[in-house]
Amino acid sequence: LNAAPGRAPRQQIRFLPAPAADGSGAVELVAARVPVLADHPLVRGPRFRRLKIGAGHRLDVKASGVFVLGIGHGNKLLTDLYNCHLTKVYTVGGLFGKATDDFSDTGKLIEKTTFDHITREKLERILAVIQGTNQKALLMYSNIDMKTQEAYELAVKGLIRPMGKSPPIITAVRCLQFALPEFQLEIHCLHETQQYLRKMVHEIGLELKSSAVCTQVRRIRDGVFTLDDALPRTQWHLQSIQEAIRNCQLKVEAELEKTLG
Amino acid sequence: RRGLAVVAGPPSPRQLREAEEASPVFQYSGKAARRKDRVFVWGFSYSGALGVPSFVRPDAGWKKPRRIQPTPYRLETEEKISSAACGYGFTLLASNTRDITKVWGMGLNKDSQLGFQRSRRDQTKGYEYVLEPSPIPLPLEKPQQTRVLQVSCGRAHSLVLTDSEGVFTMGNNSYGQCGRKVVEDEIYSGSHLIHQLKEFDSRVVQVVCGQDHSLFRTKKGTVYACGWGADGQTGLGHYNITSVPTKLHGDIAGVNIIQVSSYGDCCLAVSDEGDVFGWGNSEYLQLASVTETTQVNIPRHLPFKIGKVKEAACGGTGNIVLTEEGNVFVWGYGILGKGPNLIETAVPEMIPPSLFGRSDFSPEIHVAHVRCGLSQFAALTNRGELFVWGKNLRGCLGTGRMEDQYFPWRVTVPGEVVDVACGVDHMVSLVKSFT
Repeated sequence: LNAAPGRAPRQQIRFLPAPAADGSGAVELVAARVPVLADHPLVRGPRFRRLKIGAGHRLDVKASGVFVLGIGHGNKLLTDLYNCHLTKVYTVGGLFGKATDDFSDTGKLIEKTTFDHITREKLERILAVIQGTNQKALLMYSNIDMKTQEAYELAVKGLIRPMGKSPPIITAVRCLQFALPEFQLEIHCLHETQQYLRKMVHEIGLELKSSAVCTQVRRIRDGVFTLDDALPRTQWHLQSIQEAIRNCQLKVEAELEKTLG
Repeated sequence: RRGLAVVAGPPSPRQLREAEEASPVFQYSGKAARRKDRVFVWGFSYSGALGVPSFVRPDAGWKKPRRIQPTPYRLETEEKISSAACGYGFTLLASNTRDITKVWGMGLNKDSQLGFQRSRRDQTKGYEYVLEPSPIPLPLEKPQQTRVLQVSCGRAHSLVLTDSEGVFTMGNNSYGQCGRKVVEDEIYSGSHLIHQLKEFDSRVVQVVCGQDHSLFRTKKGTVYACGWGADGQTGLGHYNITSVPTKLHGDIAGVNIIQVSSYGDCCLAVSDEGDVFGWGNSEYLQLASVTETTQVNIPRHLPFKIGKVKEAACGGTGNIVLTEEGNVFVWGYGILGKGPNLIETAVPEMIPPSLFGRSDFSPEIHVAHVRCGLSQFAALTNRGELFVWGKNLRGCLGTGRMEDQYFPWRVTVPGEVVDVACGVDHMVSLVKSFT
């Protein structure tokens, strides 16, 4: 960043003594545009010594996926994005037959169970119920008076969302893959933590009269940022970062405009 | 160095793997485990209509009686219940079994709408409030072969439909709603009389109770009615009492009716071609699309352009229909389900399917059944979710709150809801467990 051409130095107008034009030997004051010495790069030093980087929604050590960072002025946008309360999408991989103490496959084993009675249909039924109860929680925590006409209209459009603090809410779940003993779910959620998702996998196992652990949690969307916008480790250098910021600017502005008005 | 004991450090990965493989495997459910059938009840419990005696008479002295059950509560039944009906303060549960006991009743029994329940304290008298599902003795000719198909309850009378022995009626008969001649000054409380109706043109396949009248639908598609007719709800062309089931004519003559519905004083019928016919009370604009009069005593075709109708349900002041595409239409008066601004309409208005859970994420969700209580509506989706809306009288909606609900709201039931019966202030649902 410091190697990039910096701001041009400020110019000032000074009256400098210069020999007269007609060669008479007298000294005249002539106006000239001269760069200010205080702006010289050797005086000023490197332009960027520290960068303010802020992080968006938290991502666990054991989880992976999209992680939003804000640089410099972008930190202000981060707070605005947080207040938008947009949903995040995760792919969660699970394994039937084991129960551990921290709900992931690297924890201490508590119990092993059979799982051959589980079918995709039973899993989908449980997922439908989870969606239903979370839908109710969505409407309840959004703090809107249910008796008003605008509550009805928002509910029809599906725009009711808790705009303040609330416990984790899941807006949609879908089963992507099912191959006993493994399965993969796509979860759309709000205000959650990755440990909550792992606990949910464990609870699904319990509900199906077996047990389950979570093998993988991967965030594929965080508000407006998807996997396509995210930079993998090989691309963590200046040009790609600048390009990514430019590409996302429009999307972020549009979303903030729509939600916060 | 004392002894030869070695300090055990953290287990190595190999030790962990061996411990894991050696641990026992528990089995909680076999491969052939079947889904269980359950009954959930909620609403006003003080009349005994919920069938849980501890709500009315608590088993411990310090416990207070529970007047209202605001969320679904599981009711233990001996047999699998295939049909349930809620009346005005009482409930009937029926099972499809060939055993001798096929129907159970609970709640108000002041007009013997639950048959004669012999009191244990005094053998000559009967119970006026039945707090537990008690068997109703039906005078069947072949009790070990006949099956009970359906039950229905009105304000103070009930109907039981069997597959080969016709319809049994019991309860109040002051308007002839039980299908037998009205006896002056008859005392209905503690009565043993259960009347049997067999004279119809073909086998009866559906029985429906209105507030003080009864409707019978036969296999041939004809409709019979008896009972009070002051609002024209018997549909026989007059406003008098009918004490013998008589065939209806009017716009439904010759039409094959596949479903009838009634709960208050208005009646709706659906034909196999998807047309809707209505008769009865129209004070709340239920039939205002065809007539300005407030009572219609002959079935009239309701010309709605909403598509082919699959199912209809009548409430006290509002009506609801379900079309083949899975859309729900409401009209009438009261809390119709489209927010607090829609209080009355004579023309059916559609409830947006997004309120029942349909979205781009799950586009295949649609409503499968609709039911009506006196001022409540219930809708069942194909995923087994129950949505209710309307006036929350004494907690009958089951949402856990006591406020009225102006748009469809999910009821959390631990299972897939197969059927629901709505009453005035309580509801009963038949549920299949998840696994």
